[in-house]
Amino acid sequence: MDRTERILDLVALLLDAQAPVSWGEIREAFPDEYSGSQDAAERKFERDKAELLELGLPITWTPATDEHLEGYVIDKSAYYLPELALAPAELAVLYAAGSAVLTSGAFPGREDLAHALRKISFFADGQLPPPKVRLELSELTGSRELPARLEALWGAINAKKWVDLEYFSPFSAQVTHRRVDPYGLALRRGMWTLVGWCHLRGAVRSFHVHRVRALTVNASKPRSADFQLPAAFSLDEYVAAWPWQHRFHPPTEVTVELRGELAPLAASLFGVTAPVSNERSTFTLSVTDLEGLVGYVLSQGPDARLLAPESAVQALRAAATGVLDAHRSSP
Amino acid sequence: MSVQERLRRLLFLVPYVARNPGQKVAEVAAALGISSSQLLEELDLLTLVGRPPFQPDDFVDIYVDDDERVYVQLDQRLSAPPRLTAEEGVALAAAAALLKPASNDALRAALSKLEGVLPPHALERYRAMGRQLDVAEGGPDSLAELAQAVAERREVVLDYFAASRGQTEQRRVQPWELVSHRGQWYLSAFCLTRGGQRLFKLDRIAKLELTRTTFTPPAGATGAALPTSTATPVTVRFSRSRAPYVRERFGSAVRELPDGEVEVEVPGDSERWLTRWVLSFGGAARVTAPAAAIAQVERAARAVLEG
Repeated sequence: MDRTERILDLVALLLDAQAPVSWGEIREAFPDEYSGSQDAAERKFERDKAELLELGLPITWTPATDEHLEGYVIDKSAYYLPELALAPAELAVLYAAGSAVLTSGAFPGREDLAHALRKISFFADGQLPPPKVRLELSELTGSRELPARLEALWGAINAKKWVDLEYFSPFSAQVTHRRVDPYGLALRRGMWTLVGWCHLRGAVRSFHVHRVRALTVNASKPRSADFQLPAAFSLDEYVAAWPWQHRFHPPTEVTVELRGELAPLAASLFGVTAPVSNERSTFTLSVTDLEGLVGYVLSQGPDARLLAPESAVQALRAAATGVLDAHRSSP
Repeated sequence: MSVQERLRRLLFLVPYVARNPGQKVAEVAAALGISSSQLLEELDLLTLVGRPPFQPDDFVDIYVDDDERVYVQLDQRLSAPPRLTAEEGVALAAAAALLKPASNDALRAALSKLEGVLPPHALERYRAMGRQLDVAEGGPDSLAELAQAVAERREVVLDYFAASRGQTEQRRVQPWELVSHRGQWYLSAFCLTRGGQRLFKLDRIAKLELTRTTFTPPAGATGAALPTSTATPVTVRFSRSRAPYVRERFGSAVRELPDGEVEVEVPGDSERWLTRWVLSFGGAARVTAPAAAIAQVERAARAVLEG
């Protein structure tokens, strides 16, 4: 008998049972399947049960009581998906978000997401309209491998298994071998970063997933965790959300001013709230990568300026002068 | 495919057909994201599934009729799919996070209902795993509202800053599609105020309101007006220090120059994007052709110095 078939038979048996099903009854029901020594048969059953538990099926063993003998049960109220009672707008927007990600080409957990979308729309009547949200996440070269790498990392993160990476650094143009306990994945500005414990460096490190040239997940004992996630771990502390947040030097306070059409855009352009008065907004940022900030502010054009400290103001001027010198048509 | 993945698929397939009796083979296959021939294989396996004592009525009875339609006669209590797993919940929540749920009631409500249907043991894992997938993108706040408007086909009133006119104007639009292109979100819509299809940049929308008026988008209404690459390409040269970054991003499209510098061609369709991009390198990137693009970057740098 095919293993999938046997496991589905078990589900059908447990879903139909009115009382706990004992191991003896299970063995009797599948004499050819759980044959051989008691030990071997039990191990085989445990492996089958593990598949179902990993799928989230609520199977438990319950001891004997006055009313029934000991055995296995599926808690039916916890098994069946209930109606989510999503309002049409709620379903539509959740579905749009999920579908946009599925078509984006590079997102971890795509199979999980596809199943989730099927389940949330299970009770919806009629076909859902094709969601009109498109997202491009795979623009970098080497992105052909990216979806598969993300999927493998997602599996390793969830099972808490270490991974071996061949990691390319564009600056040294060298590939190093790293063993990493994968803690999590973060998406920033269209790029995926893996954060984890690097065995080589003995510290938490971040890795751009598109720079991973080869990836192997520890295949031994897939059901036992290789590591634990530190209780206080937060991905956000290890990835820069903004260009001035790379941890290159100690934080300094830099004052930024936005004028004209940029004045009301502090939140979307800099992630801060700043009141607008006289068509200007002013705010300070904690900066650990001044060069990153300078490039970013410069790219916003003349309506974004640095006000303090003087060193930052000069850095911006120097960068603008650099651009001008590189493009000057007449001396 | 792993046994687990196949189990997950089959435990969904039976209830799906029970709820949608008489769908065509191709429709059911599409709903499961598999091919028709894969579906037929799965149906073959399911006919062998049953429970002890394996009498005729103890088997799943699922079949395809002469008209290629799929039915289930006996579902053996597979009447609804299993609840979401923690992984499925986290993947969905992460996708939703991309659309900025904090600024949209419908998306926020949907996520809290999602938590409500996770089995208790999965909920804990879902919360723990939420820390391990973080997509906090700096997307505009209007994303989720507009996604809802597109999905529900509701007309929207926008306060939009039109760069070409240098002022903010109110527009009433029929939103067709949201597209993220080169890190910039656009709304492709029919503008009722101007009477034509337009592309709106989301970061130029100052205020928006969903109306109760619905519309029917014309067939094939998509982002046909996305910036296309018909304009003359622009050549940009990078200093040695920036070359590794450029090689990584552009791969084989990079031209290596004798002095260690590198050169690439980028589409010349968006002046604004190009200028911003070149400026962000602070002198380490230099436009070498065409002359109009060089002049434009020069003007932008002067404007900064004179501002």
